[in-house]
Amino acid sequence: MLFGRKKRKPIVIPSKKVAQWKYTTCNYCSTGCSIEIGLNEQNKIVTTRGHAGADVNRGKLCIKGILEHELFESPGRGTEPLIRDKHFEDFEPTSWDHALDTTATKIKEIQAKYGRDSFAIVSSGQLLTEEFYTLGKLARGVIGTNNYDGNTTLCMASAVSGYKRSFGADGPPGCYDDFEHTHCLMAFGSNLPEQHPIIYWRLKEALEKRHFPLIVVDPRVTMLAQFADIHLPITPGTDCVLINAMLHVIINEGLQDQAYIDAHTQGFEAVKALVQDYDPKQAQHICGIDEDTIRNVARIYAKAPAAMSIWTMGINQSTHGSDGVANINNLNMITGNIGKPGGTSLSITGQCNAMGTREWSSCSGLPGYRYLENEADRNEIADFWGIDPEFFPKKRGLAETDIFPAIETGEIKGLWIVATNPMTSMPNTARIRKALEKLDFLVIQDVYRDVETNQYSHVYLPASVWAEKEGTHTNTERRVNLICNVLPPFKNSKPDFWIFNQLAKRFDNGQMIHFPETPEGAFEEMKHLSKGKLSHGGPRHLDISGMTYQKIEAARGIQWPFREQDEGLKGTARLYSDGLFPTASGKANLLPISFYNNNEQPCDEYPFWLNSGRVVEHFHTRTRTGKIGNCNKFSPTAYMEMNPDAAKELGVEHQSYVRLTSRRGDAVVMVQLTHRVPRNMVFIPFHYHDCVNRLTLGLLDPYSRQPAFKQCSTRIEPIDQDEAARINVERRAF
Amino acid sequence: MTSQITEGSKLHSGSDKAGAGAGAGVGLFTPETGSSIKVTKANALPKRGEEQLGRSNHWEVRTEEQAYAYLPKTDSEIENRYGKRIDLVELTDNPVGRSMFINDNPAVGTNPDRNKQHGFFFTADNCIGCHACESACAEKNDTPAHLAFRSVGYVEGGSYPDYKRMNISMACNHCDDPVCLKGCPTRAYTKHAEYGAVLQDPETCFGCGYCTWVCPYNAPQLDPVKGTVSKCNMCVDRLEVGLKPACVSACVGNALDFGVIEDTPESREQCKTSIPGFPSPEITRPNIRFQQTKSMPEEMTRTDSMPVKYRKGKDGQYKPVIDQKVGKQQHWNLAKLNSRENPLVLFTLFAQAALGTFMVPFLAALAGVEIFELFMASDMMLVLVVTSLFMTSFGLFMSVTHLGKPFRFYRGFNNLRYSPMSREGLGLALFSAGLGLMAVCLLATNTWFSELLVSGFDIELSGLTLALPLVNLTLGAGVFAAIAGAAGLYYMNQCYQIKARPFWNHWQTVTSFVGNSMSLGAMVSGVMILSTLAVLSLPLLPALQLLGGVWLVGVALEAIGLIGHNRDLNASENEGGAAHYIQCTTFGKTYKLRNLMLTLNIFAGLTLLALGELGLLNTQGLASEPVGVNVWAFVAWSVIALINCISAVIGRALFYNLVIPTTMPGAFFWKNKGFEQHARDIGLADNPACGVAPLAH
Repeated sequence: MLFGRKKRKPIVIPSKKVAQWKYTTCNYCSTGCSIEIGLNEQNKIVTTRGHAGADVNRGKLCIKGILEHELFESPGRGTEPLIRDKHFEDFEPTSWDHALDTTATKIKEIQAKYGRDSFAIVSSGQLLTEEFYTLGKLARGVIGTNNYDGNTTLCMASAVSGYKRSFGADGPPGCYDDFEHTHCLMAFGSNLPEQHPIIYWRLKEALEKRHFPLIVVDPRVTMLAQFADIHLPITPGTDCVLINAMLHVIINEGLQDQAYIDAHTQGFEAVKALVQDYDPKQAQHICGIDEDTIRNVARIYAKAPAAMSIWTMGINQSTHGSDGVANINNLNMITGNIGKPGGTSLSITGQCNAMGTREWSSCSGLPGYRYLENEADRNEIADFWGIDPEFFPKKRGLAETDIFPAIETGEIKGLWIVATNPMTSMPNTARIRKALEKLDFLVIQDVYRDVETNQYSHVYLPASVWAEKEGTHTNTERRVNLICNVLPPFKNSKPDFWIFNQLAKRFDNGQMIHFPETPEGAFEEMKHLSKGKLSHGGPRHLDISGMTYQKIEAARGIQWPFREQDEGLKGTARLYSDGLFPTASGKANLLPISFYNNNEQPCDEYPFWLNSGRVVEHFHTRTRTGKIGNCNKFSPTAYMEMNPDAAKELGVEHQSYVRLTSRRGDAVVMVQLTHRVPRNMVFIPFHYHDCVNRLTLGLLDPYSRQPAFKQCSTRIEPIDQDEAARINVERRAF
Repeated sequence: MTSQITEGSKLHSGSDKAGAGAGAGVGLFTPETGSSIKVTKANALPKRGEEQLGRSNHWEVRTEEQAYAYLPKTDSEIENRYGKRIDLVELTDNPVGRSMFINDNPAVGTNPDRNKQHGFFFTADNCIGCHACESACAEKNDTPAHLAFRSVGYVEGGSYPDYKRMNISMACNHCDDPVCLKGCPTRAYTKHAEYGAVLQDPETCFGCGYCTWVCPYNAPQLDPVKGTVSKCNMCVDRLEVGLKPACVSACVGNALDFGVIEDTPESREQCKTSIPGFPSPEITRPNIRFQQTKSMPEEMTRTDSMPVKYRKGKDGQYKPVIDQKVGKQQHWNLAKLNSRENPLVLFTLFAQAALGTFMVPFLAALAGVEIFELFMASDMMLVLVVTSLFMTSFGLFMSVTHLGKPFRFYRGFNNLRYSPMSREGLGLALFSAGLGLMAVCLLATNTWFSELLVSGFDIELSGLTLALPLVNLTLGAGVFAAIAGAAGLYYMNQCYQIKARPFWNHWQTVTSFVGNSMSLGAMVSGVMILSTLAVLSLPLLPALQLLGGVWLVGVALEAIGLIGHNRDLNASENEGGAAHYIQCTTFGKTYKLRNLMLTLNIFAGLTLLALGELGLLNTQGLASEPVGVNVWAFVAWSVIALINCISAVIGRALFYNLVIPTTMPGAFFWKNKGFEQHARDIGLADNPACGVAPLAH
């Protein structure tokens, strides 16, 4: 008897009464966690759990995945197609037929009047791979616009571009298992605990088993930076200088892997010559990392039996994004760290299916990493689809970030946006708003009716989400994984796959080209296109011909290449282990990366660096996580991290509001004082509508056309607190 | 034993106050043995498809469940560091293999350690603040956005880039000394021999929130929407099949672990009972252990609105100190005094006033003060008793309206064994009963009532009651009421002597409660007594002087308490001091006004009493004035009484509004009282996904 209690009170614990579990893959970030959705006797979704047998997540899920099943019936979902003549009128509900007929007619009208490329398509990294393939077919082969791109230009374009420049093709060569083998890990602008918690866990597990040096390059003291053995609080935008200085030390001290360089790379002499200009003595003044530390880090990295680099938006979202990636690749090639266990250049991808869109959407060319610029590729695809190869343009058109300026200039008159929200996600919101206003015709295809970009649409197509559909994703480590269809589409929403197929039927080419009825049918087409050799004779790495939905589910994801003849269920963990690269020569390119400073820098007028990034509980523009209370409550409104010393000088108080101004506009945020950021920097999560992107410049990378979200300058102004609170509430519809 | 382990144990015994303190006890636990119990890897994992084999049906084990989710086999200690047995079934007369009847399931769990005290193990070095534990808990327990059984907050310190944040994930610690269980008046809590789990039944709870006051870790969650408390259930359903709780299994920082208490998990080298931001383990002997080996800055601050930070002492332990977050400026903030605690302000003031109203004249009469004996014999005594009864009833009614589930009020007496709240309630209920009984007796001898009966119903009461010893009965009922009332007041005070709320845990609470009883009681009874005496043309001055004296003692008592409180809390660096800092800044002007009123009153009262003693208040020689006291004296006393009412209300509202509990640090939005209030003020909280519940009940 404890505390004199003979009678115990009844114990009641919520019980989900799961009757069956269905296999799926998380639809948020690119980690690619396997999730089981639990359905009760009434086939109602009651819970989710991580799949304990899946190699990626081994049963773990982050906050978003744990609560993901709550999104199906969240507020703001699109229930039926909507239509209106002018964006300032009210929507009328309409039928799918009418909505699709109108869309097709308008596209044809605009194309007839202004040319095929005057209608643009912007898609996403959120759809399923089969949907991307189908959309690509529709855009390239049916509608025939060359102004077709995805929002991956905002997140991964620099990684893609860097990989292509260095290795001849896209595709992260490493995998999560590399953590188990590496002897030094360097993270550039990657905050795993916040952005990819499950990848962080894989890293933590490896570190707890066998500690190795963790070096983190980040201007903020993130949790990863705090836990690092060495934290390099770099000056924003100067990663190339740091890496060049490291290469200077490595090459001048003879620490490079000359055998590897000679056997598998080309261009070493040019790099060697260039880095002579980056003596740590001079470099330290640009990148803000002292000479000794640069030398120390370079030596640790070069001397490690296997060393790897990971990076995310800190590198990609910069005017030197593609260069940064190429330079990280340089570092790893020069130290012989490509394609070996624990030695790799692993970009940690953003969206759940950013890889799927890179591989199969035809955004940057043609499906399966094929190029419009390559005649053989054009012929092969045209032949397979059954159209005239001359229908394809011979050069890639505009990237997403160039499409909006083209609307400004009147080149583009109509736009179809699929599963992305540029009104919140693109830099310089004011400019985007103005562009969208100008459009003759805008179609929004999205899961949520309240997605902010819908303010300017003429037709709204309600899409189904995640497990309301079926198909595959590819994750950061090239693992193709399956999403099973668990429940029917919400109300009168439709799977994106269905929408693309139905729209295709309304065009002449759509009658000619075969559009499979099921995602699995599309997957079979992709498998067929993934076979064979590259046009210059090298092996095609993006080969999924050995996969089937059944095998993928049994293996809980298979890493490509996985070829027809491959046995078992295990794909390929690493690319380029044989030292053979998909370039014409078979050798990887060492590229001299020179630094030039074109960032908007803090100045007297705008004295603070403006940095932006993610928080763990939110995804993208909060259309999903903002409506799930147990996610949203951890940051229900916009805030800004600011250094207390800087705040003191300006009289800014913790948890008060300030107004920020930049050369683009203004924003109102609540201040969180913390020494996590330096005195001349503020940090604002990018998830909130009408917030940080009203300020950002987003200067474009010359190769990837990715905007530099993280490097511009701002100024802090006082604001009446009541007025600020009113603005804050008004801007938070969810 | 490796050198690392030795170092761990040194930390354990040397720097750990709780561990060192327990050394004096009789326990078998020694720091050395504590560290030597190292949990080894769980036994070989079950084969695929056989995960459920040999396990009870309380929870479905995942296919290919991973090692991290299984509870390891362990040779646990016999006693914990406080000398308490870890195998709890031996403390009970329960059979070893009895069912917990989770959701009425009669199956007995298959966990071999199910009768041992379990606890969380938190590696503070590792927590990344990713919310996985919180969301796993929310998902499993279906908790709405505005409450959580587990919450993560943080403390931070240092200067860029030498900056450190320490996240703290905290749920219920299933304490050895569960103050929630003891405090709960409804007996909603049970400490089970199984796992030592302290579980709470929301169906028993009536939503008084007292457990949320006494718990130093903010574990019990009062849901303002549902009106009941609920809390961490240790995932006993998972434990029964040998799995760790959902939060632990979900942790992606390898920070949160769970097992038999005093066991140090595999690959951990420290097992201590405190980290910065965590309240003293001496309050409840919580079943949580920590590893925190990384050096932290000397000062760690909180991002939430609590004016508390933590500073490293010479012993290496972090102690709370006041963080002057709202500056030094003094404000009124009178509107903020109007809060959801209003019913309690009214309850305590009315109950105390009622006690005084009855006790002052009754005790004076008992003591043989002639004028009060005369009053007690008068018909007006009935009115006074009934007034006191009504005031008590109104107070109790107010306290019931404060409940989340007012219709369950009768459950308030269920825990007389431990809960001061039960005893307070019972004391006041018995006080009311005594007053009721007294009123009935007084009714029988009341001439107005007798006349009413005769004239209206032609009933002669005296014939029926003559045989009864009415005078003795009246007196007996009065004595009973007085004793019950005094007990009620005593336990009312005991309710606030809470270690987790140092602002209340001070003798000032006594002086305030007793002082208010006296001053308000003297005032209310004075109105009745003096008017009665005036009607009866009896001399007023002696009564006025005595009542004034009681009033003055009451007010002086309160003032002395406040002086002591101010002195002690000014010297205090803990949450009590922090609350006092808010009292002196956010409510600084209000606080000053109240103190000024109190001081002026004391001087005015003293002056009036002195004038009375000197006979200066008599209307000497003027036989035509039967009152015998100067009218201006009445006016003066009335003004003083009115000021006293105002100062009492302000004082009590401050008392409730200011208290800062020794709670866990919050985050910038979540568990930040300042943000919650702001979200309510500006309307963000109207969106339920904001996670801030409206304050209604």
